[in-house]
Amino acid sequence: MAALGAALTVFLAAVFAVGSIRWLGDVLNPLEVTASERVPFMGGSEPGTHAWNRFHIRYYTMALLFLAFDMEMVFMYPWAVVFIREGLISLVEMLIFILVLLVGMIYAWRERGFDWA
Amino acid sequence: MRLARLAATAPVPVFPVAGVGARDAVLDLRLRPELTLVDTPRAADVLLVAGNLPAGPVSGLAAIHDQIPPPRVTVRWGGSLPEDLAFAHRIDGGEDEVVAGLVDVHRRALLGELSSEPPVLPDLDPIEWRGVGPYGQGGKGMTGGTPYGRPLAERAPDRDGLELDQLIVTMGPWLPAFPPGLRLVVKLAGDLIREVEPGPSPLFGVASSPDIFGAALTAPVLIVDLEMARARHHLRRLAEALRVHDLESLEFRALRLARELRPGDREMAQDLAQRIERSRLYSWVLNGVGVVDPGRVAGLGPLARATGIADDARLDDPAYRELGFEPLTLQGGDTATRWRQRLNEVMQALDLAGRAGDRTTGGHGVVESPRGRLAVTEPNPAIRLLGLVPATLEGLEWGDAVATLLSLDLDPVESGAETAAAGEEHAA
Repeated sequence: MAALGAALTVFLAAVFAVGSIRWLGDVLNPLEVTASERVPFMGGSEPGTHAWNRFHIRYYTMALLFLAFDMEMVFMYPWAVVFIREGLISLVEMLIFILVLLVGMIYAWRERGFDWA
Repeated sequence: MRLARLAATAPVPVFPVAGVGARDAVLDLRLRPELTLVDTPRAADVLLVAGNLPAGPVSGLAAIHDQIPPPRVTVRWGGSLPEDLAFAHRIDGGEDEVVAGLVDVHRRALLGELSSEPPVLPDLDPIEWRGVGPYGQGGKGMTGGTPYGRPLAERAPDRDGLELDQLIVTMGPWLPAFPPGLRLVVKLAGDLIREVEPGPSPLFGVASSPDIFGAALTAPVLIVDLEMARARHHLRRLAEALRVHDLESLEFRALRLARELRPGDREMAQDLAQRIERSRLYSWVLNGVGVVDPGRVAGLGPLARATGIADDARLDDPAYRELGFEPLTLQGGDTATRWRQRLNEVMQALDLAGRAGDRTTGGHGVVESPRGRLAVTEPNPAIRLLGLVPATLEGLEWGDAVATLLSLDLDPVESGAETAAAGEEHAA
């Protein structure tokens, strides 16, 4: 019974809180939004279609670039562990690897892979 | 009330609608510290309607009026009161009078001395949102029905071979980023333009008095006046573009320069050109954007010369030959090159004005206007510029498209006046 009372109290408190916030909103801003104000501003014209639409955001170029950098990081973690032991040769190897990745990035840049559209 | 009084001391947020003949006057208001010219009616308190407008209801004006949140007031600067905003406060006079009037009307509206104007349009959605089911659910589309009377986007092939949605939106005629009166019907895939067509402008067919270039077709005018008008024209169009790129301090510089230009004094224009170059606007934002077809720019003045074609009506003018006039050209034909070309031509115009003395030109039926070759027997270059819009803008992102559009220097009034005249001839 006590649990039901507690639940009822919480429920009533929530209803009161929501009601009072909405009432306060109406008191502070008594103006109603008219149909004209609900329309997006397009310079005086009405929209011909509803705004819901699906378009191709073209994530794949970004995904490919992400993969390039991701693979770089995957390789760099074990490399960092053995770097001291292997010495200069591992540094050169890593530079060659990064250079190859850089070529890929420059290629993507040339192909306008960084442009959104 | 104290808060309202405090609010009344702030710059007046004004949404301007510039009719025929008021584009430059409204643009100059941006320099006034008493006003803030805002980009959307939601941010405005006052609707300013300036210049000549068509008789009868003006397309889009009532909708913009109703989108201004109360307390809202409308001010008409000169001209007759539009039919649908007949309650507007009318202010005649120059810039100082209209600024003082706007400040006064705004203060009185905030203090409650003026009541807020009621909406002009009825508070009705086009159609109630209702699907086919008993609770309004179901039907066509994502959640069914026709939301608020607007159909959902139609399907169209995407450039990646997918069938995706295509939004059809009509932008303008009073979009602050566009030349006043320009309406474009745009088919968008995301923010990419698939198709674009200029729509009918409310300013088509509205009477306008010819500017100095129009006057030079039939009567001689001083070269110094003509070249100064050319420099001012290019600087004001540049200022509009700088505003859209959010480079406000450069915009104000261009506007101030347009007001303070003196013949022969190219230093300030050179300084502006250097500052714009340093802003990296050209190289980062506008480089390679909106390249126009070189086969379609003959006779289009700065557009032709920015693609390397030395096309200029002043070449055939003995008065200009005496001044040693040589057309300036650049290679590229993109948006960045067009603005570089215009700034170069501003400096050239100032040089020519400085050397022209009391030489006159005009009266031969042909004159080189800032938009290109203006001739009594040929269609206005503004019509051909408007014709370039579909091919140049298709495939661009929305932001690039607006930047390109501004660099084409469109004028719906001039293109409309000629189109209306051509239509009448055709009908006859």
